[in-house]
Amino acid sequence: MTVDNEEHTPDPGGTASDDDVATDGGTKASRLDEEGDVAADYLEELLDIADIDGDIDIEVRSGRTYISIVSEDRSDAGLSSLVGRDGEVLEALQELTRLSVLTATDSRSRLVLDVDGYRDRRGRELAKIAQDAVDTVKETGEDVALEPMSAYERKIVHDVVADLGLLSESEGEGAARHIVVSPSDD
Amino acid sequence: MLAEALEHLVRGIVDNPDDVRVAAKNNRRGETLEVRVHQEDLGRVIGRQGRTARALRTVVAALADGEPVRVDVVDTDRRRG
Repeated sequence: MTVDNEEHTPDPGGTASDDDVATDGGTKASRLDEEGDVAADYLEELLDIADIDGDIDIEVRSGRTYISIVSEDRSDAGLSSLVGRDGEVLEALQELTRLSVLTATDSRSRLVLDVDGYRDRRGRELAKIAQDAVDTVKETGEDVALEPMSAYERKIVHDVVADLGLLSESEGEGAARHIVVSPSDD
Repeated sequence: MLAEALEHLVRGIVDNPDDVRVAAKNNRRGETLEVRVHQEDLGRVIGRQGRTARALRTVVAALADGEPVRVDVVDTDRRRG
C-alpha cells in the first residue's frame, strides 16, 4: 500500500495516521474547505456581536471559495449595511475575511464574499455597462472610459467586452483605476 | 457593541489575539475606538498604505449606523522610535 501521489479527497472518517510528508500543502480541496470554515466562523461571530440576522453559505467552485451571507427576511436593513454604497463595506469585509484566513492557515485566500445577493445584481449591472460601452464604441469608433471599479469588477467587464469582440484595458492607479473600451484592431 | 465588533475583527487577523485591546472614548465629536495590538502585529493591522486600517474603519462605520465613530490604531511603541 502506497501513500505517494494520491489524488483522492481526504476521507474524514479515514485513518489519517501518516507523518508530515502526507500533509505537505494538503490537497487543494481540503485547503479550500478549511478556508471556508475559518471565514464562516469569523463572519458568524461578527453577525452575532452586531445582532444582524443572516445565514452563511459556503460553496467551493472552480478552485475558489464563495461565501454568502443571506437572510430570509428580504428587507433586512442589517445586511444591506454590510454591503454599503457601491459595495464598499462588502469589499472591506471581504478583505478582512481573507486576512483572517491568512492568519489562521498561513495561506493567501482568494475567497469571494457576497452579502444579500449584491454581487449577482451588480454583475448584471456591470454586464449592462459593458454592453452599453461596446455599443457606443461601435457607433462612434472612439474609446469609452468607464467609472473606476475594483479589480473584481474590472475582471467581469473585461470578460464581457472580450466576449463581444472589442478591446479593453485598465488605466489609472489605485482608486482611479478604470477600464477603457476601444475598437478592435481589425 | 462597536468596540466588541472591532475587537473581534482585529483578533481574527493578528498572530497575538490575546494582546488586542480596544478602548472606547467619548468626546463631543462622537466615539473614538482606540486599538492596541502586539508590536509585531501593528503592520498587519495597518496594512500596506493603511489598507487594512481603512477596511476596519469602513466596517465599523457601517455597523455604527450613521453615528460618527473614529478608529485609531495606537502605536504604543512610538515613543522609542
